[in-house]
Amino acid sequence: MRMPFVTMFLASPFDGLEEHAKKVKQCTGAFQEAFACHLSAKCVDFEEHRRYIHHLETEADAIKRRIRGHLPQGTLLPVDKFQLFLYLRQQDKVLDAVQHALDWLSYRDDPGIPPPLQPDFLRLAQAVVKTINELDRIVIGARDYFKGFQEQKRIEVKQIIRQVRQMEHEADQLEGAIKRRVFTMDLDAVTIYHMTRLAEIIGSIADHAENAGDMMRAMIAR
Amino acid sequence: MSTEFLVLILGYIFGFYMAWNIGANDVANSMASAVGAGAITIRQAIFIAGILNVVGAVFLGGHVTETIRKGIVSPEVLNDPHLTLIGALAALLAAAAWVSFATWKSLPVSTTHAIVGAMIGFGIMAGGVASVNWGKLGAVVGSWIISPLFSLVIAFATFKLIIRLVLSRAAALAAALRFSPLFVGAAMFVVVLSFVFKTPLGKQLALGLLPALAIAAAAAVVAGLLGRRLLVRLMSRNPLKEGAEGVFRYIQVGTSCYVALAQGANDVANAVGPLAVIYFLVKTGGIAGKVPVPIFLLLFGGVGIAAGIAMAGHRVMETIGRRITTLTNTRGFSVDFAAATTVLAASKMGLPVSTTHAAVGGVMGVGLARGLEAVDFGVIFRIILYWVLTVPAAALTSMIIYKLLMIFLPAG
Repeated sequence: MRMPFVTMFLASPFDGLEEHAKKVKQCTGAFQEAFACHLSAKCVDFEEHRRYIHHLETEADAIKRRIRGHLPQGTLLPVDKFQLFLYLRQQDKVLDAVQHALDWLSYRDDPGIPPPLQPDFLRLAQAVVKTINELDRIVIGARDYFKGFQEQKRIEVKQIIRQVRQMEHEADQLEGAIKRRVFTMDLDAVTIYHMTRLAEIIGSIADHAENAGDMMRAMIAR
Repeated sequence: MSTEFLVLILGYIFGFYMAWNIGANDVANSMASAVGAGAITIRQAIFIAGILNVVGAVFLGGHVTETIRKGIVSPEVLNDPHLTLIGALAALLAAAAWVSFATWKSLPVSTTHAIVGAMIGFGIMAGGVASVNWGKLGAVVGSWIISPLFSLVIAFATFKLIIRLVLSRAAALAAALRFSPLFVGAAMFVVVLSFVFKTPLGKQLALGLLPALAIAAAAAVVAGLLGRRLLVRLMSRNPLKEGAEGVFRYIQVGTSCYVALAQGANDVANAVGPLAVIYFLVKTGGIAGKVPVPIFLLLFGGVGIAAGIAMAGHRVMETIGRRITTLTNTRGFSVDFAAATTVLAASKMGLPVSTTHAAVGGVMGVGLARGLEAVDFGVIFRIILYWVLTVPAAALTSMIIYKLLMIFLPAG
C-alpha cells in the first residue's frame, strides 16, 4: 500500500502525555500509601510498596520514551515540540522525586520519623499528592482546547494551573513549618538533617507539578 | 492474430490494471477524512467512492487525457502510427511496472507522475531528446510543487476561518448553523464551476467566464440557504449531540463525494489515456493530432478504479480509521475543500495534478493552523524525492520496454 495521505498522520503525543500523567498520579497515590505504612507501627510491606512504585516508574519511563521516540524530525504539533518535551520532563521528575523520597526514608528506617512530626509529614504528603492529581486534568483540558480552540476551555486550563500553583504554595508552607519545628525540637543532628532533607524532597514533588503547569501555560498561549 | 490486435488487448489489460491501482491506493484521498472523522462507515465510503469515481470518469473525464499525451511529447514523433502504437503500450507497461513496484515497496508515488515519465521515455526513444517538450515539462513540474502549496494555503485559511467563525464561539453549534451557507455555498461554487468547465455537457453550453461565475454564485446561494435549512433539521434530530463538528459531519459527506468525483474525472486519464491512443490507432489505422476518448473507455477506466476500491478499499479504510483519529469533521472539510479546489484549478489550466498531492497539501495546511495533534512533515520531502525519482525511473523503464517491443512487435 502506498498512501502518503495516511502516512502523514502520526500517533498523537497527547495520548502518551495523558497516559503518563495518569501513571504519575497512580505513582504518587502509591507513595502516599507507602508513606502512611512506613509511619504506622505495624508496617510490614514497605518494601513491597517500594517495589510497586519502582514498577510504576518503569512503566512511566517506557511511556516517556515512546512519546519522545515517535516524534520524528519535521513533526508538526499544535504546540512547540520543545515545550512539550520540557513539560514531559517536569512530569517525569515527579517520579524521580517520589523515588528519592522513599529512598531517603529507607536510609534510616530506625528510628524513622519522630512521632511528634508524623502528622505534619502526613499533611505534607497529602498536600503534594493533591498537586499531582491535577496533572492529568491539565493535559486533558489542553487537549480539549486544541480540539475546538474555545476560549472557555483555555480559561479552564489556566484556572487549574493557577490552582496547582496555589497548592504548591500551601505545600511549601507545610514544608517550611516542618523544618522550623525540627530545629526547635530536641533532636540529634543526624535526625535533624534526615528530617529537613526529607521535607525538602517531598516538597519538591509539588515543585515539579508547578513547573509542569507553567510549561503547559506556555503551550496554550495564543 | 495481428500485432495491432495483440497490442490492443495488452492495452486493455494494463489500462485496467492502472485504473485498479488508482482505485486501490488513492481511494484514501477522497474518503480518508470522512472515514477518519467518522462521518461515514467504511462500507459506505467504498460504495460512494466506487460509484462516484465511475460517474466522474464517464461524465467529467476527458480533458486532462490530452494534456498528458500531447503536451509532453512533440506531435512530430506521432507521425508513424506503428511507432505511436508501440510507444503508447510501452508507456502504459512502464507506468504499470513502476506503480506495482511502488505499491510493493510502499513508496508514495503518484500514478500521474508515472505516466508522464513513461511518456517522456517514449518521446526520447521515438523522436530523440529534442522531441520532448521540456518547457511543458517545466510547467508540469512547477504544478507539482504549486498544487500542494496552493492546497496548503486554502486548507490553512479555511480552517482558520472555521476556528474564528465557529469553533471558538461560546455557542459553536449556533455559529456553525449560522455560517453553514458560507461553507456549503463555497463548496457548491467549486462544484458548479468544475461542472461548467470540465464536463462535455458543460462545455456544450460554451459559457464564458463571467456567466459561469454568475451561475456558480447563484447555485452557491441557493445551495447555501437550502443547505442551512436541511442542516438545522438534521441537527435537531441528531442523536449524538455533536455540536459544531456534527454540522460539518453532514457537510463533509458532500465534499468527500465531490473529491471522489473529481478524482474519477482527473485520474482516469492516467489509465485510459494511452489506451485511447492505441484504440484510435487500431480502429482508424491513422494518427491524428487529437484522439477522442470514447465514453466506453472512460467507463472502462472508471469501472477499473471502482474495482480497485472494492477489492482493496477495505484494508485502506481500516488503516485510515486506525491512524487518522485527530482529523475531525471541521478539519476534514478543510482538507477536502482545499484538495477539490486545487484539482479544479489545476485541471482548468490543463495541468496533470495529483489528487494525492492536493490532499497532502491540505493536511499540511490544517496542521500549520495547529489543527492536528501530530503530522509528519517529513512525508512531503519523501514525496518530492519519489516524484523526482518517478519521472526518470518510469522514463527509463518505458525506453527499455519500447526497445523490447520494437524487437518483438516489428512493423507490418
